[in-house]
Amino acid sequence: MSERFIPAAVIAALVLLVFGAVPLALHAHGGGYYYQLASLALIFILLASSLHLVSGVTGLLHLGQAAFYGVGAYLAALAGVAYHVPFWLALPLAGLGSAFIALLVALPTMRLVSIYFAVATLAIGQMINIILMNWVPVTGGPNGVTLFSPMNLFGWEITDNTGIYYVVAVTVSLSVWAIYRLSYSYYGNALRALREDDQCAAAMGIDAVRLKTQVFTVAAFFAGIAGALWAYTTGYISPNDFKFSETILILAMVVVGGLGSLPGAIIGALLLVLLPEALRGFGDVRNIIVGSVMFLSILFLPKGLCGEVPAISLARGLLGGAWKTDAGKKVGWK
Amino acid sequence: MSASATKSYLFEAFPVIDSYYFQQLVIGLSQGMTYALVAIGFTLIFGVLNAVNFAHSEVYTIGAVAGLFVIGAYAPPLAGVVLLVAAVGAALGFGLERLAFKPFRRFSDEASLKSRAMRESTLMSSLALSIIVREGLELVMGSQMQPVPFNYMLNTPIVLGSITIVSGDVVIFAVSASMLIGLQLLLKKTRIGLSIRAVSNNPLGAKYSGINVDRTIVSTFVLGSMMGAVAGLLVGLYYGSVFPSMGFAPGIKAFVAMVMGGLVSIPGAVICALILGVSESMATTFMPSAWADMVPYLFLILTLIFFPRGLFGGGRERV
Repeated sequence: MSERFIPAAVIAALVLLVFGAVPLALHAHGGGYYYQLASLALIFILLASSLHLVSGVTGLLHLGQAAFYGVGAYLAALAGVAYHVPFWLALPLAGLGSAFIALLVALPTMRLVSIYFAVATLAIGQMINIILMNWVPVTGGPNGVTLFSPMNLFGWEITDNTGIYYVVAVTVSLSVWAIYRLSYSYYGNALRALREDDQCAAAMGIDAVRLKTQVFTVAAFFAGIAGALWAYTTGYISPNDFKFSETILILAMVVVGGLGSLPGAIIGALLLVLLPEALRGFGDVRNIIVGSVMFLSILFLPKGLCGEVPAISLARGLLGGAWKTDAGKKVGWK
Repeated sequence: MSASATKSYLFEAFPVIDSYYFQQLVIGLSQGMTYALVAIGFTLIFGVLNAVNFAHSEVYTIGAVAGLFVIGAYAPPLAGVVLLVAAVGAALGFGLERLAFKPFRRFSDEASLKSRAMRESTLMSSLALSIIVREGLELVMGSQMQPVPFNYMLNTPIVLGSITIVSGDVVIFAVSASMLIGLQLLLKKTRIGLSIRAVSNNPLGAKYSGINVDRTIVSTFVLGSMMGAVAGLLVGLYYGSVFPSMGFAPGIKAFVAMVMGGLVSIPGAVICALILGVSESMATTFMPSAWADMVPYLFLILTLIFFPRGLFGGGRERV
């Protein structure tokens, strides 16, 4: 009984925290700023989780994730401004558009390994950013895009802070749940095999290039979703929101939390969003904090705040992520 | 039509544009030279450690900032500034290696020397350090461009027939050529050069034959960073502006040149840096300069896809 009870209790507690305690606290302490901060933290949790899939589980150092985040944001915002596409349609559109571009990019580059892959994604990220910055007739160039339309869910317009928070929280929770299911499954294990030795994995019958392409595309899909959420929560986007430093920020979240660990990515995202906000009194030191936290964690905590092994046992034990054979034995990851 | 006839036909058809393109070619070459300056140090470090040093761009920036500071404080002659900046670069290289690279060489067995984990952790540690340095500089000196004192700027025009170059072109050409030749001499003729080549060939083998690998790596960093800092200074003086993020774009271009040149070949990287500079300046004649920024990234992707061994061949492990 307890085997079923513990996972249910943990998940219920997490749901209560995200959908009960946090909005209550926000409501009590009021202020649009805190709502904005909570949405930002959730969006970065999703971004870090999506990068976790590529860089953590599959071990591909991806230095262009912010560009796909940007593609999603621009798609959602431009669709809203130019064609009055409602939010509920713009959200999947942003994800799919971003995934489509990622697929186009992945087809030729996915054969590259290690540092060459990293630099290729860096170049692609920069190229996308240059396009966003210079394709003035469409993207508005450095002036960015201002989005006036509220979140529209099938005709129901959400304008109050709590409502927006709930929309973001539901979308992010569902996406993170999907990423969780992906990364702690046989599919995730195949990805881990690619990370450890892709030639060996290919010899064992895993289609390395295809799997890498898939995971890269899926990660871009979730980054696009995060971008659409960002466009709708702030109402204004510009190419500066999707610069190389944002990629580094997302990467730092994954590294600090622990490569290959989804709880780690979430903890890292919370840490790197909330810590600079807590230290705002010392001036604009956000990126210095990001850099220092990243450097110190690589040096002293190479496995991250919540390493992959604890994350896997957490997923197996507390979240009920393992599955059973007929004999009732748990299988999954040792 | 014979070749000479075609040529004269071209000259008759485009009498004005021809000298314009020639001027553009010269501009491109001098731009390529500035990339080559950065690429030499970058390739040297990569060749030995097989790890990308993201902080090389910050060494470049600090070189320029330190030069500006020295000029502002003491106003020595240019050669003195260059020597002081080279000393600063040497110190930076030493510190950088100790901070971001040494801690990750915890084990010296073959597996961990070749392991991806070690390479990627040094990649990320140098990236993190470079962010800290760049943002720290921005905090101290602001993100605005710092003007260079007028009498130190390398922009005295020199007219050569129909084209014009500036004194900076000559200086940068002379410095990068002497760097390249000096480095080749050092690598081929001296003991430290021999040990650098040995370590870059096989660190473990070098260690077994009695080479102090640690010291060799440090001296490579010192050398490479000296060159990086001097490059930053010269380019800062050439363009007349110094700012905290000035190292990012040249760093990327140096990397592109290195990949195109076949990774471990310094002359290859220099040639590719020149190609890059020329194609960028040619691109600005066809499109706005903001779009021309796409060129190096496009080159990088195309090289990686179609010439994974670099344009100049050379054996290499899997890309």
